[in-house]
Amino acid sequence: MTTNGALIFLMAFLFLFLGYLGVPVAFALIAGVLVVTSFTPVGLPSMMTQLFNGIDVEALLAVPFFLLVGELMTAADVTARMIRLSQALIGHVRGGLAQVVTVFSMFFAGVSGSSAADVAVLARSLGPDMKREGYNPAFIAALIASASTMANLIPPSIMAVVYGATGNVSIGGLFLGGVVPGVLVGLGLMIYSHFFGPVGVMRLRSSFGEVSAAARGAAIPLVIPVIIMGGILSGFFTPTEAGVVAVAYILLVAIPLLNRGYLRQLPHDMAMTGLLYSIPLITIAAASAFGWMLAYLRGPAVVSGWISAAAGNDPFMIMLLLVLLFIIVGDFIDAIPAIIIFMPIITELTKSADINPVHMGVVIIVTLAFGLITPPYGIALLMASKFIGVRFGRAMFASFPIYIIFLATIVFCIFFPDVVLWLPKHFLPESVGCFKNPSGSGYICP
Amino acid sequence: MLSLVQESHRHLKWRALDGLERALMVLCGVAITGFTVSVVCDVVTRTLGRPWLWLQEVTMTFFIYGVFIGTAAATRRNDHLYLAALAESMHGRKRQVFETFNRLVMLAVALSMVWFGYLNFLDGFRSLRMPSMTPLASLYAAIPLCGALVALFVVEQLVNGWKNGFAEPEPREVVP
Repeated sequence: MTTNGALIFLMAFLFLFLGYLGVPVAFALIAGVLVVTSFTPVGLPSMMTQLFNGIDVEALLAVPFFLLVGELMTAADVTARMIRLSQALIGHVRGGLAQVVTVFSMFFAGVSGSSAADVAVLARSLGPDMKREGYNPAFIAALIASASTMANLIPPSIMAVVYGATGNVSIGGLFLGGVVPGVLVGLGLMIYSHFFGPVGVMRLRSSFGEVSAAARGAAIPLVIPVIIMGGILSGFFTPTEAGVVAVAYILLVAIPLLNRGYLRQLPHDMAMTGLLYSIPLITIAAASAFGWMLAYLRGPAVVSGWISAAAGNDPFMIMLLLVLLFIIVGDFIDAIPAIIIFMPIITELTKSADINPVHMGVVIIVTLAFGLITPPYGIALLMASKFIGVRFGRAMFASFPIYIIFLATIVFCIFFPDVVLWLPKHFLPESVGCFKNPSGSGYICP
Repeated sequence: MLSLVQESHRHLKWRALDGLERALMVLCGVAITGFTVSVVCDVVTRTLGRPWLWLQEVTMTFFIYGVFIGTAAATRRNDHLYLAALAESMHGRKRQVFETFNRLVMLAVALSMVWFGYLNFLDGFRSLRMPSMTPLASLYAAIPLCGALVALFVVEQLVNGWKNGFAEPEPREVVP
């Protein structure tokens, strides 16, 4: 093994060893980087600059805004209206509440970019009702965790923001590209719940009046995805600005109209969200220092060399191997540090195989979203099993059939780039490399 | 009024530092409110065709200080992201050893952030932020500050952990 190889191995070993021992992820990453830096000519103070550079990125401001949107909606109890709408739309179908979980997650994904908020809302609001109706707790935890992953696919997605900001890929393009896999996972979960899930309690079909009343009730929160995507697609806002406009809308319109009493609690929740956003961001800072050192030691060139040697220049094969790599990586580390640490490798392979960066981004994000429900570090499944009160092992066993839905979605995304890129090509053509036709109207796409 | 000081892991905390945790939480709130307001102002002034260019500097200052202050507060509250909580499933002396080792690693990282962050801070006087021409050191200062606070909270947990044990004490039975 070369010196660089040994140093990369040492850095990765220290991170995983310390991380699994119980040192917080950010500190385990920094410890690995500092130890390895001391064996290189790079000065230790300059690694502090890398730590700083990792978060000195304007696009990352969208992360706290999307977290804030989710937190405010949850804390102000505005989400109950979206649950009522989901129940009115789909509560009468076989596996009623299971279907409601999926439909609500699709709505909520358009409001919040984080799976954690989705798991907390669903487990608190629908978990007890599902238990009362006789659903198996392991099935409830598996379904809630799987449905919550859609928050990372359907825009706005925090994973897409981080991927776009660190990989210099259009965040708007990634948002739109995530819609197809998000809907596919949602439909897959609904089909699975219908044919293979528990029957549950069948409700009467809601009348048109009941559906329209529920839709009116949920109209105010459901304007948020329109603000976010409308602002980005019209080119009026960047994703960061769209996030802040959504926050302003919730504070100035949604909460005063729907839950005025909540305003007293607002200063407390702002402080809590201030704390909440610092946790992933310090991990991003540490992971970017880790990624920088990995690049300095030529790790990306080595790994991308291995993948290129195995896959040649076949983009599908390269993507399949990357998916395999990220399924393994996602089982052990959190999605956000994984994106940042491996971004140099992804960028190199995307260029060498001439893959559309948005297509590659969507495939990687779907794979990492799948990692949220796979052991041992399936954070969404861990949270859901804790909230529902079932052993992680049982929830994991109940998730196995759902893994097929995710794997099928990943394979679909790899082999049908035209479908994945259809929305970005039509609404944000420049995000996927299209350019204006110099001799007429419209765009020319590669 | 909801408290900003977390009551779990009380056995690892000194009451004397509760005020500091409260102050850091308030600063977290100020940071997120600050950059929310400054981004709103940025959108508004740009829409009006008279952008205030210095707003981006204000935004990034709130944002970056918020991250490092939040990191310090999260250390006292045990709120960080973890890969696994192996030590929490252990008992007795074994747990004491693991928890001590984990915190010594954190302390070493925190002290490195203080010292190397300080050297980086000094270096930051050679670069300026545009358009205000403020030295970049004004932002780099957040790293040693965060390191010092993390070190303080880790020492607090170590001392109290050795004295009271790291495991959360069983709730006392109330005699009717």
